[in-house]
Order: sequence, then C-alpha cells, then structure tokens
Amino acid sequence: MSEMISIEDGPLLRVRNAVKVYGPTRALSGVTLTVHAGEVLGIVGHNGAGKSTLMRVLSGLETIDAGSVEIGGITTPPRTGYPGVRMAYQEGSLALELSVSENIYLSSTAWMPRWRWRGVAARQTATRLQEIFPRNAIKPSDYVDDLPIADRQRVEIARATITNDLRLLILDEPTESLSGSAVDQLYDYVRKLRARGVAIILVSHRLREILSVSDRVAVMKDGDIVSVHDAADSTERDLFMAMGGEVAVSGTRGGAARRDMDGAHPVAVRIPMMTLDGEPADIFAHKGEVIGLAGIAGQGQEEVLSRLWRANRGDVDVGADLAYVPGDRQRSGILPLWDVAANLSITALPSLARRGIRQFDKEHELVTRWVDMLKVRGGARAAITALSGGNQQKVIVARAFASEAAVILLDDPFRGVDVHTKASLYQLIRSEAANGRTIVWYSSENSEMQHCDRAYVLRASRIAGELHGAEITDERIISLSFAESRETAA
Amino acid sequence: MNATSPALTMGGLPKGSARRILPGLLTLLAMMLILIVCGTIQPRIWSQGGMTLIMSPIVALAIATMAQMVLMSIGDIDLSIGFFVGMVTTIVATFMRETPLMGVLALAACVLAYAMIGALVQLREVPSLIATLGASFIWLGVGLFILPVPGGLAPDWLFQYAMWRPPFSIPVPIVTMVFATAITWLFMQRTRLGARFRSLGSNPTALARTGASLLLTRMLAYATTGFLGVLAGVTLTAEIGGGDVNAVPGYTLTTIAAVILGGGMFTGGRSVAWGALFGAVTLGLMTVLLTLLNLSSNLQPAVQGSIVIAVLAGRLVVERLTR
Repeated sequence: MSEMISIEDGPLLRVRNAVKVYGPTRALSGVTLTVHAGEVLGIVGHNGAGKSTLMRVLSGLETIDAGSVEIGGITTPPRTGYPGVRMAYQEGSLALELSVSENIYLSSTAWMPRWRWRGVAARQTATRLQEIFPRNAIKPSDYVDDLPIADRQRVEIARATITNDLRLLILDEPTESLSGSAVDQLYDYVRKLRARGVAIILVSHRLREILSVSDRVAVMKDGDIVSVHDAADSTERDLFMAMGGEVAVSGTRGGAARRDMDGAHPVAVRIPMMTLDGEPADIFAHKGEVIGLAGIAGQGQEEVLSRLWRANRGDVDVGADLAYVPGDRQRSGILPLWDVAANLSITALPSLARRGIRQFDKEHELVTRWVDMLKVRGGARAAITALSGGNQQKVIVARAFASEAAVILLDDPFRGVDVHTKASLYQLIRSEAANGRTIVWYSSENSEMQHCDRAYVLRASRIAGELHGAEITDERIISLSFAESRETAA
Repeated sequence: MNATSPALTMGGLPKGSARRILPGLLTLLAMMLILIVCGTIQPRIWSQGGMTLIMSPIVALAIATMAQMVLMSIGDIDLSIGFFVGMVTTIVATFMRETPLMGVLALAACVLAYAMIGALVQLREVPSLIATLGASFIWLGVGLFILPVPGGLAPDWLFQYAMWRPPFSIPVPIVTMVFATAITWLFMQRTRLGARFRSLGSNPTALARTGASLLLTRMLAYATTGFLGVLAGVTLTAEIGGGDVNAVPGYTLTTIAAVILGGGMFTGGRSVAWGALFGAVTLGLMTVLLTLLNLSSNLQPAVQGSIVIAVLAGRLVVERLTR
C-alpha cells in the first residue's frame, strides 16, 4: 500500500467543478477540492450545504453531472466505489438482524476468505474494535439490534476501517451518538491513521472537535466550498463567519419567556424542554402566533412536533385540536388513488357531515374555495398524482387548514417546492395566524423562519436560543445552531 | 461508557441470541410433548416402521417449509408454494419416468421461473404476495395441463428410496428431513450468499452499501426457494406415488405458520432452519394427534391457526418483557 501512495506527490483526491443537480435544486454547484494523503480535512456547513451529496459522490454512490472527481488516479469508480475509499455512515448501513461480525464480513467480503470466514471476521472485528475503542463491551457475535446506539456507531466506524488498502476514510458525523471518552478514542485513532498516510475527511457539526483534529477545514454553503481554513490558526468564530453566521450569540441564550405578546392572547401550546445548559425552559405558542423550530436538521425538531401531535405523556399542554402537515408527501401525505377534492377535504369531512351523512354541496363549496385561493393547477377533479410536487403540497397544506384545528403543525413541508407556491403558502400561513390559528413550523431552510413571530433554535434536542421578529435571520440561526453547552465546552 | 473489562463480558450468550433461539426451542418442546402424548396412546409409533409411517407425510412439508423460510428471510412471502409443489409432482410423475432428461430440464425451468419472479419483485417493486399469488395460478394451470386428473407414476428410484431401511432403525423420513434442514442451515449461516439473503431482509440499504447487487441477491433467493420447492415436490411424489397438482394447496399457509413457529419473522432478516423444521413437524403431527384423540382430522386447520395466533401473541408479550 505504501508504494501506491508515494508514486506521485500530487493530492490523493482531486475534485474539480463538481456539479450535481436533483430536479430544480443544485446540490453541488461547482465544488473544487483537494485532499492529500496523510491529511485530515474537516467539512462543516449548515442544512442543504451539500455535505452529504459530496460524500456520496466521493464514496461512489452518486455520479456527478459535470466536472471531475479523481481519487488515487481513478476517475470513474467501479460499482463497489473507488478502491481504498471507505465511508462510516452516520446510521443505516448495518443490518440489525445480523450479528456484528456478519455485518463486517458482508461489507469487507473482498478481504475475507470465501469459506470458513466466521472465525476470521470475528477475530478481525474484535481486534479492530479493541484497537479503536479500548475496553468496549461489544462481542462480534452480538446481534446489532440489541446494541445501544453508541455501540452501533462504534461498529459502523470499525466496519469502515476493515480493509487492506485504506487510503481515504470518510467519517460522517461520527461522534453524534458517542460519549466523551469514545470521542477521544476515535480521534486518537484518526491521528494514528493520519500518521500512517491515510487521508481522512471528517464531517461534523461540532466545530471545536473539527478544529482540534483537522489539518484544514472546508466550509460549505449552498452546494459549494466557500472557504478553506488552516485549522491551527482558525477559531470557531472564523468558521461561523464563513458559514454566514453572526457572532452575537450572547443575550439570546435561554428560552425563558420575555417581553412581547400581551396577556390578551392565551398560550395555545406549551412543551417543557431544556436549554443547552440543562436548565428547564418551555417552548410555547400564544394563540395566533407563528412559532418556528430551526437549527441543523435532526436536532430534535421533529420530536417536538411528534410530542405535540401525540400529546399523551401528560407533560405537553395542547388545549385544542391539531392538524399535521407532513414533509414527506409521497410517504405520509397524499392518498394517491383519490382526486384533489377528496384529498383536500378528508380532514374536514366530520365537521361538514350532518349526523354522519356527508353533505356534498358543502364539501364542494369548501374544495372550490381552497382550490381557487391557492390556484391548484388542474382543479378539484384532477388526479392528485397528475399534479406537480408543488401543487400536491398546496393540497396537503390546504387539507390541514381546511380542518377546524386551532393548532397547525408543519413538518418542513416546503422542501423542493417552487418559489411561487412557497410565496402563496407563506401568505396563507400569515393570514390564518391573523385569524387566530396557532402554527408550529419546523423548517430546515433558515430563510423561511423569517415568516415566524418567534423561532426556537434547537441543538441536541435542547433549546439553543430563541429569536424574536427581526432577530430571526440566517446569520443568527446559524450561530445558534452550532452552539455547544457549557458542559461539553469545559 | 461501560467500564466492565472485556474479559468479564466475553462470557455468556451474545446479546440478542436468546430472543432468536427461544421460539424454536419452545416449538421443539411442543413437538416432544405431542410425540409423547401420541406415544402414550399408541406405543407402536416408537418403532422404525411406526415412526416412518407418521413422519413420511411430513417430509415434503418440512422441505417446503425450508423453501418458505429462505424467502421469509429476505422479507418476502411465497403464496405459491402449495401449487408449486403440486405441479412438481405432476412433472416428476410423468416426464421423470418417461423422459428423464426432459424432466430434469422442466424442473430446472421451474427454478429459473422462480428467479424471474424474484427479478419482477425487485425491479417493478411488485409486493411478493401479489407476484407469488399470481404465480400460484400459473403453477396450477401448468400442473393441470400436464396431468388434468391425478395420475402418473413416480420413477422407480424414488420408490426404492422410500422403501430403504437405514441401519440402526433410523426412519428414512427423519434422515431426509434432518439432511435437508442441515444443508439449509449451513447455507444460510455459513455462506456469503446466506448472509446476503438475511441482510437483504433486514436492511436492503446496508446490503447495497456493501456493493452487492440487490437484484441478483433477490433472484438467487427466489431460485433457492424454487430449488427447495422442487425437492419438496420430488419427496411428495415418492409419498403419494404419482402426480397431483391439487395434492397440497394447504402447504402455502402451513409452511408460513411453521416458519413463524420456528422463530421466523414476517419482516425478514431471520433465518431459522431448525426452528422451522420443528414447526413443520409439530404442525404435521397435529393430524396424527387429532386422529389418536378420536377427533376429526378436519379440525386440523382450525387447531393450526389457533396455535399460530397464540404463538405470535405470546411472542409479542415476551419481546416486550425482555427488551
């Protein structure tokens, strides 16, 4: 392996002007990047910056639409990915019903014997796990579904390193579910690999960790790398600024109730939470208020919505009926066999019926009103599947607002929706709030949050900060998104 | 983090293995219990002849259960195995006797047809239930075309095998069943392909990320099921002596029940060859037990159904308690 690396002095990985387009969105818009052997490159960026797309391209799971990727002299990867490139995924690449060593065997078959592999796989698994995470309690014969999340993450990382020709290791959010000492063990191992000449790409939201272990840090934004920093003489603040953040973190920490919203408006929902520093705080919304849930995707925003929606643990105050607008319209949104009218009116049916018998004239009236108001292309009788994504989303949003629910939950519903549709839906949200409805809105798109009265930024399922009115800007949200609690900072 | 030393934690069963072994073990106990009850009422079943008599109708069921088990391990369900086994008996009882080469080719075509169903399920995202339900009518039609009424004759070598008396008074049916199960178990646990089947049932994304082809894996799983289905058909021909496409339509649901009894799951990922064998024998012995208890053997499906529902409900309770 060593002779392959030292053939040339150029970089191991070279990406030039890589472009990747999914439908209307440009996930990568001309990324240029080099990584040398024996280097740790950190990558940071907010939601939709293109980090995961770039990682999928580098591991050979996706092809780019324009530009070039060259890893170790190879430009078009075989089906098994670029040779020597391995990726530890954040989650989802272990088969839960299989044992630890079977999982490792399947992902490293090329380096295992064809027969009598069980012993070899078990030995390699145990050895590598002990090497990276000394004193762990994982047995190779344990079934993955009985392992705690942190142990699964350890297996995931060990899995990626079991190969004969490791040249580039990609770690995607490797420490999100690891505890303190395991994090240190992992980074010790990363430094060991670096010393052996392996290149490492580390994607993480934990800026302090990234700065401490990386040689260089690349900041991604809107599908491009906006700047590359030398880790030795950069600070978290530099990375914030490059991501478009603003360093005015103080003053907005803690989610306690403050000025605004006179007492005339009663509180419609209240969820007990914690601040980053572990103090109790509430997320609450007054009647007629639009509340935003912001931050890096997957930091507990959807849990807040589902706690509200279920409201069965007794700790959540919801005084009224709820309606829910899902983000994944294909899976949990549309009823594909029904037309627009039926899809739109289903939640309103009980309130329109008289003694359980449907009243078609009233349904028709309701459907016509909403179809006209939102200008759904194709009209009420069109098949829902014949509509464009944006128009389907209009119908699903209208379905929630057509009900009599006083509180509307929005689960990032406007992803991939065109600008015009978005504009009309934002308008609808504001006017419905003016009519006294309460809206709790999770969005992974920071700029959407400016349509809210208040926004809570979540980090690790805790409140990192609360922003009011004009304070709700991309910059402030980004700064709060990467906030860390005092415990971990210490 | 867990601070216990590795030396201490290396002992004991691997995490999660109890939940996987227990259902099959319980079914084994149930099987023993039924055998003891039957043996108390009619002690002659404990002879080589007696055991052969009560076990031989179960051989084909046990092998068909292995077929179903392979398909359930990838998360699919085969609703066509009953008519498939029936169709294979019509091929064995006609072509295999008169033109053996044609017979072998026809059986190979059956296996290939299964692989094609697998491709259909993978490529077109047709649910396996629908694809195999459709296939069951094809098997029925082909079987009726070959033998419109039950008939034909099994090849002589099959009769000879059925008449074979192994040494040490071991009954032939048990030899066949244990052999088929052992091969299936080895294949599913010890080969790369077996591990891939289970991975496909547990998490297809994970399998795809290892670089394996989902299409090829699914096609091979279906082909394996088809191969085991052919074996089940051959043994059934030996048992009934001829061909009849309508011989065992009940196998379809009984094999699913047997896999569930043995610890298999509808969601896939789990391979339970030995448990499935115990499940098949338990369900197969039900007829014997009902007859010996002087109850109508027509009750058998109802009894089987009740057992499966009770087992599934019981397992849910146990899983909730042990987690």
